[in-house]
Amino acid sequence: MCLSEMKENQKGLIQKINGDSRFVSRIVSMGLPPNSAFLVLQNDGRSPILVYSHDTMIAINRKECNQIDVEFA
Amino acid sequence: MRTIALLGQPNSGKSTLFNALTGSHQHVGNWPGKTVERAEGFFTYGEELYRVVDLPGSYGLTANSAEEMVTRTYIEHGYADLVCIIVDAAQLERSLYMLADFVGVKSPVMLILNMMDVAEHHGKKIDVVKLEKLLNIPVLGFVASDTDGYLRFFETMERALNTHAIISVDKARSFAETSENSVVSRLENYLSGLKLGVREKFWIASKLLENDSLVCFEIRNAVDSERWQEIKKVLDEKGVEGGLLMGEAKYRFISETLREVTTETQQQVKLSRFDKIATHRIWGKFVAFFILVITLAVSMMIAVPIIASCFGLQGVAEPLVVKMCESFGWWPSVASFVNSVFVGGLAVTVAMMGFVFAILVTFGLMEDTGYLARSSYVFDSWLSRLGLHGKAFMPLFSGLACTGGAVCGTRVLDTRGQRLFAMVLLWSIPCGAKVSVVLFLASVFFGSMAPLFGIVYVAMIFASFWLSSRLFGNKLMPVSERVGMIMELPPYHKPHWKILIKTVVRNVWAIFKKAIVVIWAVSLLFWLVSYSKDGVVEHSVLYTIGNAIEPFTQIFGMRWQLFISYLGGIFSKEASLGVMSVVFASTNDAFSLISRNEAGANLGEMMRAAVSIPEALAFIFASMFNVPCVLTMGTTYRETHSFKWTAAIAGYYFAISLGLAFVVYHIALWVF
Repeated sequence: MCLSEMKENQKGLIQKINGDSRFVSRIVSMGLPPNSAFLVLQNDGRSPILVYSHDTMIAINRKECNQIDVEFA
Repeated sequence: MRTIALLGQPNSGKSTLFNALTGSHQHVGNWPGKTVERAEGFFTYGEELYRVVDLPGSYGLTANSAEEMVTRTYIEHGYADLVCIIVDAAQLERSLYMLADFVGVKSPVMLILNMMDVAEHHGKKIDVVKLEKLLNIPVLGFVASDTDGYLRFFETMERALNTHAIISVDKARSFAETSENSVVSRLENYLSGLKLGVREKFWIASKLLENDSLVCFEIRNAVDSERWQEIKKVLDEKGVEGGLLMGEAKYRFISETLREVTTETQQQVKLSRFDKIATHRIWGKFVAFFILVITLAVSMMIAVPIIASCFGLQGVAEPLVVKMCESFGWWPSVASFVNSVFVGGLAVTVAMMGFVFAILVTFGLMEDTGYLARSSYVFDSWLSRLGLHGKAFMPLFSGLACTGGAVCGTRVLDTRGQRLFAMVLLWSIPCGAKVSVVLFLASVFFGSMAPLFGIVYVAMIFASFWLSSRLFGNKLMPVSERVGMIMELPPYHKPHWKILIKTVVRNVWAIFKKAIVVIWAVSLLFWLVSYSKDGVVEHSVLYTIGNAIEPFTQIFGMRWQLFISYLGGIFSKEASLGVMSVVFASTNDAFSLISRNEAGANLGEMMRAAVSIPEALAFIFASMFNVPCVLTMGTTYRETHSFKWTAAIAGYYFAISLGLAFVVYHIALWVF
């Protein structure tokens, strides 16, 4: 399952980040490495998704969310 | 002199610390050979002078942009005597990623846990002494906005310098190198015998695993091809996994370290009610517009009294100068020289500083409180089409109030390329004065049809955005460096008024100094060319030049009077009306060509009589994209630190405004 499929207030774990090393390093350095727990704060189906992890609120574009594999926690 | 480098993630309070440490002893320029802003400053502690280098904010030491490249290169060369890593205590785990990424660099280092007050407020307790023991480097719990705490900062800094505190790699390494995974040590073996400077083999190995382009390039050139093949084999085994592995290891190192140090009360996390609205796809935009309109209204309230008193003073000063010159028996032209160049230039500059001040304060506030990121979030989808970050919305919108001030407002953008591009766009966004001049001209010639020009104008602006993004977009913001929005929305903070106002005042002063020079130089030039002994325009150099190049300017539909008015528009939009009043009325008032800021009483009538419809159209369209004003040139020069770029942007707008005039004129000739 990818991040964009998750609904508001659902908790998840990052499994894998697909993409080039630039993309991976960006996601990791912002606080979403593999195996980190997160909470979806907002997903209205159109705007970038808001997730909360490591005390940080992060907005991620929907297209980029499709590159992030997650599972329910 | 010893050098302290400040290293931290965006929103960690790095610039607050930098400003508080260095005060007015700052120098902002460009990194040599790079288009990245370099801020450094100085302070003295004890007997010694210290240099502080504010490294561009970055989430880690991997270089994905020009800014991050600067930070990374500076750190890996070990240029600083002490690296001061500053983290947000309220977001400790995430912001310590910078420290985890730094492990393996053998430069003396200290750690500052900033915003301890906010962390405590969130129910987080951090045992600083224990953390210091675990990391074995000086650690300071700190509140950068609290000016009383700086003595402790200096003590910690001294301790770090004296003990040459270097962070050990052993612990971090143990998380990356496990019994089932020996990839780090395998890579380290291949690196033996290489000159790595301040970097441990571990640091290089982890960057290799992250597929970091700089390190890969460096090592490939440093080892023979056989050894590179071996390294490559190890890396290919891992692929992208390598980067994920290292990232995970770094966070494990952090959370293991923090487990013994922090206690926190679990809080339920959800979007605050305000954030629900502020980040809403539709309501969020309304909120942003509302805040912006309020912001601009407040800017006006701050700026208008300054502007009014300034022009009031000008009104008082000018007759005084005239009288003084008369009493000394000097030429009347001396008085006109002093008035139109020095007094007039000063008045315009000070007046505009009101806008600059207001825009910088309000943007600073939005950044401080964290709201700016919310507005970026809702507008990102609009601006990403141009390749810009959502943050650009605020400065672009405030361009409607004052182009020159908004140019300074582009500071909220993170990369220099984005800033330059936003400036390019800003020059085509009309301020109130420009709109009123264009509409005045339109109503003179086209009466009730004038509002149509408003619509055409808006369309033209969007067309110019498109053109600019075609011409400059990829150069300033390479497509390969663009990423879809991945942005932190920082928690809301109370603004630090004292530091904010101090910083803004200092910036306004610096901008004023640059702008006044440009304005005086341009005023002087205008005065010289429009000078004639008897004050008749036809006897000035300007007329001679205008007349001589008339065959050329007529290609664009502009006779010499109109072309001179167009040039006057470069000074300021109001000045172009003043110039027209002079050249069309042939009054003996050419002395004050550009210091007349208004249309003469019967300007409309005279122009209708002297200017044909195609010429009028050409002039109106040329005015739309003319160089906004000399103040904008001044602030652009100050903000880009580059004469070349300022000239390039000015040249670009010259070209589009004249090109547009050309097209419009010839079509109109054919139609009318």
